[in-house]
Amino acid sequence: MNEVLIEGRNGVTAVGAEVPSNARAEGLTKDQQLNLYYFMKLNREVEAAMERLFKQNKIVGGLYASLGQEAISVGTASALSPGDWVAPMIRNIGALLTRGVPPRDIFTQHMARYTSPTKGKDGTSHFGDLKGRHIVSPISMLGDLIPVMAGVGIGARYLGQKIVTMTWIGDGGSSTGAFHEGLMFAAMHHAPMVLIVENNQWAYSTPVNRQTGVRDLADRAQGYGIEGVIVDGNDIREVYRVTKAAVDRARSGGGPVLIEAKTMRMRGHAQHDSADYVPKEMLAYWKERDPLPRYEKYLTESGLWDARKKAEIDARIERLVREDREFAENSPFPPPGLAEEGVYCDGCHTIEAEWKRDKGQLALAGGYPAVHQVQDYGEIRIKVAASAPAVTPAVAAAVTARAEDLELSEEMMAAVPNGKVPTAEETALRVPFGRGPKDKAFRDEQAAKTYSRGGSGKTYHQNKPSQPPSKLPPKVFTKPFTKPFTKPFNKPVHQQQGASFQKGPNQKPGNAPRKNFVKHPAGKPGRT
Amino acid sequence: MAQVTMLEAIRQAMFEEMERDPAVVAVGEDIGVYGGAFKVTEGLLAKFGPERVMDAPIAETGIVGAACGMSFLGLRPVVEMQFIDFIACCFNQVTNFVAKSHYLWGAPVPMVIRGPSGGGVHGGPFHSANPEMYFVHTPGLKVVYPSTAYDAKGLLKSAIRDNNPVLFFEHKYLYRRIKEELPAEDYTVPIGKAIVRREGSDLTILTYAALTHTVLEAADELAKEGIEAEVVDLRTLLPLDRETILTSVKKTNRLLVVHEDTRTGGIAGEIAAIVCEEAFDDLDAPIARVTALDTPVPYSPPLEERFLPQRSDVVAAARKLAKY
Amino acid sequence: MSVNVIMPQMGESIFEGTVTKWLKKPGEKIERDEPLFEISTDKVDAEIPSPASGILQEIKVGEGQTVPIQTVVGVIAAEGTAVAAPAPATSAAPPAAPPKSTVGTPAAPAVPDAPQDEIPVQLPEKKLPPAPTPATGAPPQARTASAGQGNGAEKVRSSPLVRRLAKEHSIDVAQLSGTGAGGRVSKKDILGAIETGGAQGASAPRPSAAPGPAGVMPPPSGGTATASLESAVPRERMYFGHYEVQPMSVMRQKIAEHMVMSKRVSPHVYSVDEVDVTEIAKLRGKMKEKFEQTTGTKLSFMPFFVRAAIEGLRAFPTVNSSVDGTNIVLHKECNIGIAVALDWGLIVPVIKNAEEKNFLGIARGINDLAERARAKKLKPDEVQESTFCITNPGTFGGLFGLPVISQPNVAILGLGAIEKRPVVIDDAIAIRSMVYLTLSYDHRVVDGAVAHQFMGKIKHTLENWTESVL
Repeated sequence: MNEVLIEGRNGVTAVGAEVPSNARAEGLTKDQQLNLYYFMKLNREVEAAMERLFKQNKIVGGLYASLGQEAISVGTASALSPGDWVAPMIRNIGALLTRGVPPRDIFTQHMARYTSPTKGKDGTSHFGDLKGRHIVSPISMLGDLIPVMAGVGIGARYLGQKIVTMTWIGDGGSSTGAFHEGLMFAAMHHAPMVLIVENNQWAYSTPVNRQTGVRDLADRAQGYGIEGVIVDGNDIREVYRVTKAAVDRARSGGGPVLIEAKTMRMRGHAQHDSADYVPKEMLAYWKERDPLPRYEKYLTESGLWDARKKAEIDARIERLVREDREFAENSPFPPPGLAEEGVYCDGCHTIEAEWKRDKGQLALAGGYPAVHQVQDYGEIRIKVAASAPAVTPAVAAAVTARAEDLELSEEMMAAVPNGKVPTAEETALRVPFGRGPKDKAFRDEQAAKTYSRGGSGKTYHQNKPSQPPSKLPPKVFTKPFTKPFTKPFNKPVHQQQGASFQKGPNQKPGNAPRKNFVKHPAGKPGRT
Repeated sequence: MAQVTMLEAIRQAMFEEMERDPAVVAVGEDIGVYGGAFKVTEGLLAKFGPERVMDAPIAETGIVGAACGMSFLGLRPVVEMQFIDFIACCFNQVTNFVAKSHYLWGAPVPMVIRGPSGGGVHGGPFHSANPEMYFVHTPGLKVVYPSTAYDAKGLLKSAIRDNNPVLFFEHKYLYRRIKEELPAEDYTVPIGKAIVRREGSDLTILTYAALTHTVLEAADELAKEGIEAEVVDLRTLLPLDRETILTSVKKTNRLLVVHEDTRTGGIAGEIAAIVCEEAFDDLDAPIARVTALDTPVPYSPPLEERFLPQRSDVVAAARKLAKY
Repeated sequence: MSVNVIMPQMGESIFEGTVTKWLKKPGEKIERDEPLFEISTDKVDAEIPSPASGILQEIKVGEGQTVPIQTVVGVIAAEGTAVAAPAPATSAAPPAAPPKSTVGTPAAPAVPDAPQDEIPVQLPEKKLPPAPTPATGAPPQARTASAGQGNGAEKVRSSPLVRRLAKEHSIDVAQLSGTGAGGRVSKKDILGAIETGGAQGASAPRPSAAPGPAGVMPPPSGGTATASLESAVPRERMYFGHYEVQPMSVMRQKIAEHMVMSKRVSPHVYSVDEVDVTEIAKLRGKMKEKFEQTTGTKLSFMPFFVRAAIEGLRAFPTVNSSVDGTNIVLHKECNIGIAVALDWGLIVPVIKNAEEKNFLGIARGINDLAERARAKKLKPDEVQESTFCITNPGTFGGLFGLPVISQPNVAILGLGAIEKRPVVIDDAIAIRSMVYLTLSYDHRVVDGAVAHQFMGKIKHTLENWTESVL
């Protein structure tokens, strides 16, 4: 796979999918690029039709719009293969359409008809399709799809399926416990999952700066030890490229990826919400960045279509929407007796997993060690933050004297953002307590030491626009891509882990103790 | 075969099911290397490997959600709650995702959530819960609560093979205290069937879990006074075996329900309503119940003893009912 | 003071443990929290720290032994205690129970030997229920409805099962006596009734044929009487030896009910007086034949007493009343009921408006009613609406009787036998025809003073008879 540069956040580039050298930088054919337009436009038209239906009182319950966010739904879903699993949320109708769900399913769902995929049992986009399109229905509680899709990914890996799961969450939804637990579970079990955090700036009436303490939700990924990337959510080509890179990485065993797509919710939370709390200027700012005209411009400028082609596509869309809407409006409501049916599955489904590997392979040699492999014992390493947190007077006083004599190495100077000479407080924090600045051994150590975890050797905060790159700029995916779980099926645990787990003293395979139970330290029963 | 504790019976069920069907996997906190807080899953990791026996972080929502996702693929995950009390942490996943998926969009969730529950072991208010009624109240789930080693093994197998989500409560007081000889061959116990543990003619005592043994002792004591109690062990709380309950009530015409759950909202109320609806003309006395107090489970032994129904409580209530 | 070392509980489901190693020997010194012994359980092996400082006095559970949790495995003695002596635990005696003090306790009930009536019994203050309002007549006691059962008026406690079985077997639950709590008819009772082919909902009772053999109890009573006819003892206790069971006639049942009810409702008080009826006897003797020839009806003593009673009732209207809750209903008419003994029971026909009748009218009325009573030709309104009754137990012997008031009256006059007795008149003994009169009266409205005065009036009227009989 050729490595390519992809624009990410902070000007740092990322590993991406293979790209041919012609203008179709996304790796898509012309038809595929036109499809991106088709689905975005279809998305917009379906929602416009539903808005009209709502105003005609034909929609049961609430109606949610994804106006302005179509690029995210369509762009991300387009990066998937047919066997992959998706769990769209209410503002990802575009993803459903991209996966092949006809508009009539969406209309009938919102209109509570018997012909809807759930036969009227649930509404909006709460429907799924396990066997065909591999769609998992959401529930109204936010964040709960994340652990579920993590489980789908983990289970699929166990079955030998090389699939990726994808789900979406908003800036507001990323506050829930389910988001946290689900992402953590995905990270710990290396689920092949791509999570799209759609930051549309508003969670109902709560702006992002009142929802969470970080400006960039991709920063959250750090907390789980997974990759986080920011993308311009209104540029469908960007969205596609970054998502494709993430999907490929996840599929190859690189673990979960969090993509933060920045966008704006151009309507209220739902039809009933006029969103007067949104500053008008903000709406104007993002209107200029509407994904649909933006992509249309690209298609025109790159000669991928002409006016006739566009009209043809638009006509196709208009006809489809009209036909499906009529179908929905003429559909009956479900019979009342349906309410009592379907609580339990009593033979109505045959549950069979799809095995893509030899079940015989599952037999494993015994002797899994009863003691975990822990390569570092929680050794204390103080990270230097780009913006140092406030220093208490006590700490400052303690180290100020030494810091003033500090001779800063070139390396250290270069490591400082903006090339500014660090103040006493800033540098003070770099000196481990007890080691003097005149200590040569310490200075040598500082020069040689890296602060990042087992990897490519550059500090986290490094950002040197003035320095010409001597080699490829460091990757955003800071963890080395060592492909864990390449051959997970026949080796005991301690041999399966990637290279990073080999580091540390005394962890040679075969040395692991073989006790069958864990003894508690003297006198302490522990948690039973 | 040797005598086997209920805990061992559960482990046997897990072993045998995981051997029989590679789609069965286990997820939980500390179940792999440690073998589970109560050692129910001891040996599973060695036999089946870390792909099938997954240690999880302390994230019940994450665990149950992931198991739900695995179920969508057709796997059959068995989730362990370290103490069933912690199921409260993932109440949303259980009641809104797992329970409703089949009804709403036709996606069956063939998973099992199992865990140690019940009091009498000085576990205090957060390690002694009997939360079964929250889930009996949730359509879409099945709730199972065995009282013997034989039933535990058979019901867990049925639960794993069931296409619906099953909550499998294991009374921790019984884990090592009861032993039984189990048949060597594969057997299941059907979900949704109660069982008559002791035949009688004067009154029916309905119960489940650890109190089954208390009630049987009470019945022996009552027999000395000439009161023959019929003891019925519910085994499954949802769906309730109405047939067995009503047959017994029609036979003895007097009903006493005994459970360790709190009084208000406990299944005794539901059973009383059902019996009044379906067998009013067969009642010779009001329906009585012996339950725990309407309080959280207290910690100090004399307090917990007061909280839990004791044999003397059952005997007194049965006596009063028989003489009504 | 010694401290017990116990086998700890290492986990919620652990209930026994094995002592694997003692780290100290008896006699050795041990500090608190110092490891004392090692155990092994199903879940975990552990070192157990000492609960106290001192000297390990005794090891009760040796190495390799398995005991239940909470078992005492060893004993630690406080420093200074000799190890040799097997100091029993009593040396560290538990704190003495608080000494029993009689101060402050209320005066104990008397020694059992003391006779009961010497103990002043303090009954708790009873709050009297409010006086009944004259408005409603609803019975205060709610009873479970025997819905659809034959008996309508009264309700019997039972259960849904009992009612269903009763319906299926056409048994009137109201006729069953209950052995359940509070007298309810329980499953046992109804099943017993069904088994013995028991009581049907009949209106007339059937007398039983043969005398019951000893030991077989007949089925529960099958009459129309209700729970007012309770047994004072369990039924079984009446059936012993040889016996014959005779079901009550309807009249007898009604009499029985009425008597019980009357005694329950009215507090009966009795006043006895003696009347000299010599003159009346003389008058009667003189006029008997002529009276019968002229009027066609016999002249008995009864009309004299009736006329005298009417005089009394006129003078003391309270005696001619009824009680309705807190109201006294003073009747304007004097409807005198005359009790008539029958072969098969007792009936009280009533002379209506007796105060308007003269002697002859009353005489005729009495005779006519008595005749028709014996012939069972009385009309229903002739046995209702009495305001005062007179009964004559003296005709059957005995000195006098103490009759039961006929509800809803408040008094009844009983006539004793008319006999010649020696009496004192003006300090000389004379032989006179005397009769004891008894007045049973309802002390709710008739006080002793009124009763005696009323009697005095009757006596005066009888002893100073002026009215002509014809």
